[in-house]
Amino acid sequence: MTAEPNMIQSVGRAARILKALGSEQARLGVTELAERLGLAKATVYGLLRTLEAHQFVEQDIETGKYRLGPALLQLGNAFLDNHELRARSLLWAESLASRAREAVHVGVLYGPNVLIVHHVFRPDDSVQILEVGASIPWHACALGKAMVAFLEPSQRKELLDGGLPRLTGQTLTDPEALVQELDRIVREGVAIEDQEAIVGEAGIAAPLFDHRGAVVGGIALAGPVEHLLPGGAPAGDLLAAVKESARGLSRELGAGRLSLPGAGA
Amino acid sequence: MDAACVRRWLEVAAARIESERHYLTHLDAAIGDADHGINMHRGFTAVLARLSTLDGAGPGELLTSAGRTFVSIVGGAAGPLYGTAFVQAGQALGSDGAFGPRRLLEIIRASLQGVQRVGAAVVGDKTMVDALAPGLAAFEVGLRHGSFESAVREARAAAMEGARNTIPLQARKGRASYLGPRSVGHQDPGATSTALLFAALEDAVLAQRAQRLAADQPISLGEMHDR
Repeated sequence: MTAEPNMIQSVGRAARILKALGSEQARLGVTELAERLGLAKATVYGLLRTLEAHQFVEQDIETGKYRLGPALLQLGNAFLDNHELRARSLLWAESLASRAREAVHVGVLYGPNVLIVHHVFRPDDSVQILEVGASIPWHACALGKAMVAFLEPSQRKELLDGGLPRLTGQTLTDPEALVQELDRIVREGVAIEDQEAIVGEAGIAAPLFDHRGAVVGGIALAGPVEHLLPGGAPAGDLLAAVKESARGLSRELGAGRLSLPGAGA
Repeated sequence: MDAACVRRWLEVAAARIESERHYLTHLDAAIGDADHGINMHRGFTAVLARLSTLDGAGPGELLTSAGRTFVSIVGGAAGPLYGTAFVQAGQALGSDGAFGPRRLLEIIRASLQGVQRVGAAVVGDKTMVDALAPGLAAFEVGLRHGSFESAVREARAAAMEGARNTIPLQARKGRASYLGPRSVGHQDPGATSTALLFAALEDAVLAQRAQRLAADQPISLGEMHDR
């Protein structure tokens, strides 16, 4: 971390402590954290005590090690509550899920990843885990491809030039193949994912636009490949349901009819 | 090994999966959809039904049929992954009737390659590969230094250990990877079911050996050729 003007060094260090605790399996002690961050133990200890006073970290009584604290959950929830796209998508996502009888994801692009900000469970009483907060490489999921397809060319290129990790045997990792896929998505207004992030799972997504016509997120059906892509191709009524939900939600976000893909089709 | 031994392996595997299905589902509830035990049990139940229609089939055909059944019956990741593993094993065997330990090694290797082609997982990603790869490696080393029986025993032990070793890992593949750091601290259900299949393999090999000793049969030509 280079010191930039107008940056407070200790706030940066506290942030690094939180990130270290958030990415680690085990709880970390003062010594481990100090070694990891290249800081003096006394400095780390002072930061931890301050964070602990705000409940951003807590200390395990038995081992003396530190872990993330409950105040972060409240902040995470506040982030979601204040997320305008998420707030506006709740009803649309619910109705898409009940119409398609599949799970719905609403996501936004953060760097090269799609962050799931809302998740409606598949309405069939099965056990499912909440995937809000999940971060999926953009090129491996329908949401990411749907959003990136409608970005400015420079932004699109930047993402294509970045890392394209392989998540399954079906992940598209060749930039040229992805360009073709993105161009097809622009023409059709909908993105398909066939087990490119998780074996056995598929997705159908459409982008969401704001009043400027800029892509601000996406809405997707996510579910077993045999439900979404029976026989290898998307069920027509599911495609239509996703596109209609995306159009309706985009209008609510202020997008004009003409700025929506496929509006003239 | 022959068709009877492969059949016994699949039957023992089905029984082990059935008795551990709640445990597998319990593991999956922590980091997945809480359906791994249900899915594996459904798959093996269908495999047993399919086996009963395949009288006289060779070992390769048995495994290929088991794989196709898995793919068509089982949802989620388990269907395509285990289905591919069995189909690859069956195709590696081809139409051979009897085969020896070296061929078994090649078959398991083909299964691992198939699973990795579909799932793109490597050791440490917290998937079934974390049991399959060490099981295969231990079997290979075991064959070099000891008997077939000791090799399958070591393979089972290594696969079990591999499954347990997934506990501290953070998932990098599959739905569990969505949980990020929260996937740490839980044993991977897929690695666990794979370890059960290695345990079933050991059972089947030991049972065949015991039967032969009882009947005092000579070892088959295929195995002699292999050794």
